[in-house]
Amino acid sequence: MEKTAVHKASMPVNTYRLIQIVLGVVFSAYVIWRFYDVFIGNPAYGADTWMRFAISGVVLGSVYALVAIGYTLVYGILFMINFAHGDIMMIGAFGGYFVFEALKNIPSPTVGDPHQVFLNAHPIISVILAFVVGMIVAAVSGYFLEKIAYRPLRNAPRLVPLISAIGASIFLENAALLLFGSQRRDFVNPVQLTRGTGWNIPVNGTTVILPYTGVLTFVLSVLILIALYLLVQRTRIGRAMRAVAENKSTAALMGIDVDGVISRTFIISGALAGAAGVMWGIHLGLVYYQVGFIPGIKAFTAAVLGGIGNIPGAMLGGMFLGIIEALGPAILGLPFQLKDVLAFGILVLILIFRPTGLLGEVLSEEKV
Amino acid sequence: MSKRLFFVLSVLVVASMALAACGTAATPTPAPATQAPAAATQAPAATTAPAAGGKPDACATDAFGCAVFKPGDTIIIGMGAPMTGDNASYGIDAANGAKIAISDAGDFQGWKFALDAEDDGGTAEGGAAVANKFVSNPAVVAIEGHIFSGATQAAIPIYEKAGLPMMSPSATNPTLTQTGSKVFNRDVFTDATQGKFAAAYLYNTLKFTQIAILHDGQAYGQGLAQVVNDQFTKLGGTVVTFQAITPGLADYSAVLADVASKKPQALFYGGYVAEAVVLVNQMKQAGLTNTVFFSDDGVFGQDFLDRAGANAEGAYATSLIPPASDAKTKFDAAYKAAYGQDAGKLSPYSWSSYDAAAVLIKAIESVAIKGTDGNLYIPRGALVTAVRSTKDYQGLSGTISCDPTGECASSGPVFYQVKNGQWVPAAGQ
Amino acid sequence: MNKQINNGFRTGLIFGIINIFLILIGFPMVAGTIIKDAIHNDSTVLLGLNADILDMLIFMGLIGLWAGASGGRRLKGEVDTWLDALASSASSGFTNGLLVGGLAYLLGALNDAGVRISVYLAAILPATIKQLLLGKNTLDGALLEFGFLFVTGLLGGALGFALRGQWRKALGDWWKKIWSGFVNSAWVRKIRSHPLFMPAVYALGLVILYIIPQEAGKYWNYTLGTVGIYVLLGLGLNVVVGFAGLLDLGYVAFFAIGAYTVALLTAPNPHHLMWSFWVALPIGIVLAAAAGILLGIPVLRMRGDYLAIVTLGFGEIIRILATSDLLTPFSGGPKGVSAIGGPTLFGKPFSSDKDFVYLIMIGILLTIFVTTQLRSSRVGRAWEAMREDETVARAMGINTLTHKLMAFAIGAAFAGLGGVLFASRNQFTGPEDHNLMVSINVLSVVIVGGMGSIPGVIAGAFALKGLPEVLREVQDYRVLFFGALLVIMMIWRPEGLWPSSRRSMELGKADDNAKKNSGAPGGKP
Repeated sequence: MEKTAVHKASMPVNTYRLIQIVLGVVFSAYVIWRFYDVFIGNPAYGADTWMRFAISGVVLGSVYALVAIGYTLVYGILFMINFAHGDIMMIGAFGGYFVFEALKNIPSPTVGDPHQVFLNAHPIISVILAFVVGMIVAAVSGYFLEKIAYRPLRNAPRLVPLISAIGASIFLENAALLLFGSQRRDFVNPVQLTRGTGWNIPVNGTTVILPYTGVLTFVLSVLILIALYLLVQRTRIGRAMRAVAENKSTAALMGIDVDGVISRTFIISGALAGAAGVMWGIHLGLVYYQVGFIPGIKAFTAAVLGGIGNIPGAMLGGMFLGIIEALGPAILGLPFQLKDVLAFGILVLILIFRPTGLLGEVLSEEKV
Repeated sequence: MSKRLFFVLSVLVVASMALAACGTAATPTPAPATQAPAAATQAPAATTAPAAGGKPDACATDAFGCAVFKPGDTIIIGMGAPMTGDNASYGIDAANGAKIAISDAGDFQGWKFALDAEDDGGTAEGGAAVANKFVSNPAVVAIEGHIFSGATQAAIPIYEKAGLPMMSPSATNPTLTQTGSKVFNRDVFTDATQGKFAAAYLYNTLKFTQIAILHDGQAYGQGLAQVVNDQFTKLGGTVVTFQAITPGLADYSAVLADVASKKPQALFYGGYVAEAVVLVNQMKQAGLTNTVFFSDDGVFGQDFLDRAGANAEGAYATSLIPPASDAKTKFDAAYKAAYGQDAGKLSPYSWSSYDAAAVLIKAIESVAIKGTDGNLYIPRGALVTAVRSTKDYQGLSGTISCDPTGECASSGPVFYQVKNGQWVPAAGQ
Repeated sequence: MNKQINNGFRTGLIFGIINIFLILIGFPMVAGTIIKDAIHNDSTVLLGLNADILDMLIFMGLIGLWAGASGGRRLKGEVDTWLDALASSASSGFTNGLLVGGLAYLLGALNDAGVRISVYLAAILPATIKQLLLGKNTLDGALLEFGFLFVTGLLGGALGFALRGQWRKALGDWWKKIWSGFVNSAWVRKIRSHPLFMPAVYALGLVILYIIPQEAGKYWNYTLGTVGIYVLLGLGLNVVVGFAGLLDLGYVAFFAIGAYTVALLTAPNPHHLMWSFWVALPIGIVLAAAAGILLGIPVLRMRGDYLAIVTLGFGEIIRILATSDLLTPFSGGPKGVSAIGGPTLFGKPFSSDKDFVYLIMIGILLTIFVTTQLRSSRVGRAWEAMREDETVARAMGINTLTHKLMAFAIGAAFAGLGGVLFASRNQFTGPEDHNLMVSINVLSVVIVGGMGSIPGVIAGAFALKGLPEVLREVQDYRVLFFGALLVIMMIWRPEGLWPSSRRSMELGKADDNAKKNSGAPGGKP
C-alpha cells in the first residue's frame, strides 16, 4: 500500500517536468518569433512609439516597485499577504489630494498676480507637504491596521490573518466610499507640474514628451528605494527587522522587541505605499476609493515575480511588470485590453519555472 | 455528523419558513391578480366609478387587477439602480432627479408619491432581486429604471408577469425594446441611433476617412463602438484600430501610443467620462496631437470640461442636456439646492430621470380611480397601457411620445463641441 | 479613582472615534430611519424635536449608553462601588460627548462659513448637519449634543453597574437547567433512541423542504434561491479551502464557466444552439471540473499565498477574456447572454423561481451527500493530513499532487453546478455577474460559517446573503460591515459561527466509516 503510493507520487512529478519543458519551448519560440516579426519582419511601430511605451512602462513600474516593497517587507517578517496594502496606498493618495485642495484655497498674492494661490506660488513646498502628509496618514493607517487586524492573530494558522487582511481591505475601501463618495476626483497639481507637459525630445521627426510628473515619480521612487535599502542594511532598525524576519523567537531571545519591529515594518511599508499613492495622484491625476485596488494586485504580482521577501527583487519585479504591461501587448501582438491577462499569465509562467520568483532564494518548500 | 447536520437543516428550514411567513404577513394584502380574465387591459380614466364595496368596475376587468391605497397611504414608484459600488453615482443621480419630479408633482387627491430606490448594483442578479422585491410589494405601481441595461434585461420578464410599467432614463441597449415587452419603455435614445448618427457625422460632416475606435469593454461602450465601427466602414471610411481599454485605470498612455502609431484623424471613444478624461489628458503625450477626440453621451457634461481643462478643447460629444427652457432652469436650481451639486455632474441622466418619473406620475394620475369607499384604485393593466401611449408630454428634454415598442426619446442625438472651455452645439447638424 | 477615570477616558476615546466615523459616513441618520420604521410611522413631534432628529438621537443614545456601560468594564474587580462606576462612566461619556459635540460644532461652523462640506465628505449634507445639531444653531446644538452623550454615558454606567455580574449568571443557570432537563428527560431519550427517530427527522425535513417554496411568495423564493446558490458555492469552496486547505480566490472562474456553458448552449444568441438545459447541465459541470484541473496543474507545487494570488489572477483572466473583443462573437461580450433556457420536466417548463428553489435544494442535498461521503473517505483524510502539514502528509505516502487536483476538480464541479443554476434561473448572465466580489462573498460564507463545517456554510450563506436582502435599508453599509465582520470573526471566532467539530465527527461517525469503507484498508488501527 505504502509502496504503490510512493510510486504514484513520483509519476506526476515527471509529468510536471514534461509540462515545464514543453511550455518552455513553445513559449520561447513564440516570443522569439514575435520579437523577430515586430522589429525586423513587419516593424509596426517607429522609434517614437517604442519610446512612449517605454516611458509609460518605466513610470508605472516605479510606482509598482514602491508598493511591491511594502508587500515584501511585511511578507518577509510575518509570512502573510497584507491584502489591504493597496488600500493604504489609496489613503495616502487621498492625503496628498486634500493637501493640494487646501493649498489651492490659500491665497498667496504676489505683485504680478494678485490671485496667486499657495499651491502655484510654492510648488516645491506644496509637493513636499503632499508627500509628507500622504506618507504620514498612510503610515498611521498601516500602524493601526496591524494593531487591530493582525496583531491578535500572531499565532493563528496562516489562512486566518490573510482573511482578516481581505476583510480589512474591503472595510477600508468601503469606508473611503462612504466618507468621500464614489466620484473620481481630480488631483489638481501645481501649474508647473501640469500633466502632459514635459521635455520635448525630437525622435523620428516627431516629438516625444518626457513628462515632468513622470520624471518626478521615477526619480523620487529611486531615491526612496535607495533610502530604504540603506535603512534595512545599515541601521539598527534594519538589523532588527532582518533578525525578526530570520527567526522571531531567536530575535526575541536576543532582546529585540518583536512586536515593536513588526509595528515599525508596517509603518515603513505604509509610508512607502503613501508615497506611491501621492505619486499616482500627481502623475495620473485620479483619486477615488478603488484607486489602490489594481495597483495593489499588480504590486503583489510584482513582489511574487521578484521573489517575495526580497527587497531588490520587489524593485526588479515592479519595473519588469510595468514594462511588460506597456511593451508586452505591442511585442506579442495582443490587444491592450488583455494586458492584465498577460501580467497574470507571466506570473503563472514564472511560478511554474521558478516558484521562488526571479531573485528568490531557493528556499525549502515550507517557506514558499 | 449527519444527525447533527439534518437537525441543523430542519432548524434552518423552520426558521426560514417562519421568516417567510413573517414576510407575507407583514406585507399588505396583495391586489387580486388572477381575479380578472386576461385580454381586456383598457380602462376608462374616470375619477369615480360606481361598484360594489367601493371597488371600481375597471379593477374587475383589468388583467392585473388594481393597486389599492387607503387614505394616507403612499403611492410608491420603484427604482432599481446601482446605489453602491463603482457605478453608484449613476443610481444616486437618477434617484435625485426622480425625487425632484415627485416633489414637483405634489399630492394626487390627497395621496402622496414616494420613490423607493433599491440597490441592484447594476448587475443582472441585483436587477432580478430588486424586481422580485418590487413585484411583491403591492404599493409599488410603476418602475423607473432600471438604470443599467444588464439589470434591466433581467428585470423586464419579472415586471412583465406582474404588470408593472417601466420607464428607464438610461438603459440604452437597443435590444431591450426588441423582445416585444409591453411594460418596458425608455425616454433616452438607443446606442444604435447614437452610433449611426455619430458615424454619419464623422464621415459626412467632418469629412474624416480614417478613425480609431476605443471602448471601455462594458456593455454600453462596446455596443456603441461596434455600431460606429460598422456604420463608418459601411459609409466608406477606414477604422484603423478597434480596441478596448480596461475601465477604472488612470493610465492609458501605452494603448494611446499604439493608436498614435496608426495615425488616425479622429479617435472615437465609447464609454463614460472617467476614462474619457484620462484619455484626453494623455493624448498629446502619446503623440495624438492633431487627432480629434469624439465621444458619446456618457462623456458629455461639465465634469469633462472641469477635469480635462485645456486638453478638452475641440473635443466632440453627444449631448443629453435638454435645450435651455424655463422648466430646465427651475429643475437645475432645485437640484443644486437639494443636493449641493450641479445637475448632470454625477451622471448625464439627471434630466431624463426627472422626465421618466414625471411621465410615470402623469400616467398614474390619468388612470387612478377614487372609489366610493374613499380608497384610491390604480388599475395596473391600464397603467401599463397608459405609459406606453404617452403622447406629446412636455418634459425637460422636449416632447416625449412613446412608439409602439416603448421608445419615447424626444429627439435624436445632438453633437456638441468644446470651444473656449464651453460645450457649444457643433456645426453642420 | 484615577484608574477608573483614566479607563473611562480611553473607552470614551474609542467610542468617540467610532462615533465620529459613523457620523461621517452618515450612519446614525440611516439607523434613525430604521428605528422610525420600527417604532412609529407618522411624524411625531416630541420635546420640540422632529421625528428624524429624535430617531437619530435614539441611536446615538444607545451608543452613549454602551460607552458609559463599558467605561469600567475592563477593570475587573475594581469597579466595586457606585462612585467607581459613575466616575468611569462620567469620564467615558464626557470624552465621547466632547468628541462628537466638537465634531458637530466644527461641521456647523464650517457650514455657517459657507463651506460646502459635501464636496469632500459625501454624507455630510447641509441637512445632515442640521440634524446633527438637533435643529438648533451651531453652539447650542453642539452643547446639547455633548450634554446628551454625557448624560446617556452616566446612565449607561449606572445601568451597567446595577445589572452587573449575578443577573447574567442567574439567567445562564436557569437556561442551562431548563435545557438539560429537557434533553435528559425520559420521554425525549425514549424518542431519540427509537429506531425510527432519524428516518422520521429526515422525512419531516423533506416535507418541510417541500412545503417552504409552496408557501413562500415570489420574492422569498427568489431570495431563497440566491441563498441556496451561495450554499452550493460555499459547500464547493469548502472542499477546497476547508477540507484541503487550499486558499482559492478565483472560485468565481468555475462559476462563470458553468454559467457561460449553459448560456451559450441554450440561448438563441450568439450561437443559436438551443440545447436542452438537461444536456447543458452535465456539460457545464464537467467543463468547470476540467478547468479546475487545468488551473490545478501549474499551481500544484505552490502553497498558500502564492496559490491565493494565482487563483485570483485566474478568476480575473476568465472575466477579462469573457468581456474581451477577442471573444465577443463567441461569448456575447460585455452585453452578456440573455434568454437562457430553463429546465423542462415531462415536456413542461420547470423554471419559475419556485421550481428553481426545488432544483437548488436537490443540488444542495446532493452536494451535502457527496461532501460528507468524501470527507469521511480516504480522500477526505488525505486532504486533512495535507491541510495540517503537507510535508508530513507526503512523507506518509499521500500523493499530494493528485489529491490537490481532486480537491480543485470537485470544488470546481460544484461551482459549475451553481453557475448553471444561477444563469438558467436569471435567464441572463454577463461579465458583471462574475467579478472578484463573488469569490470574496463565497469565501466569506465559508469563513463566517466555519471552515470545513457543512452546517456552518449553510448558516453562513443565510447570514451573509439572506440577511442583507432582508435589511435593505442598510444596503449602503452592508459591504463595509462585511469587511469588518471578516476581521472581527478572525479575531474573536476564527472557527466560524458553526465550527466543524472534528472530534465529534471522528467519534460519532466511527461506525459508519467502518461500514462504508470496510473494503478499503484505512488508516484505522
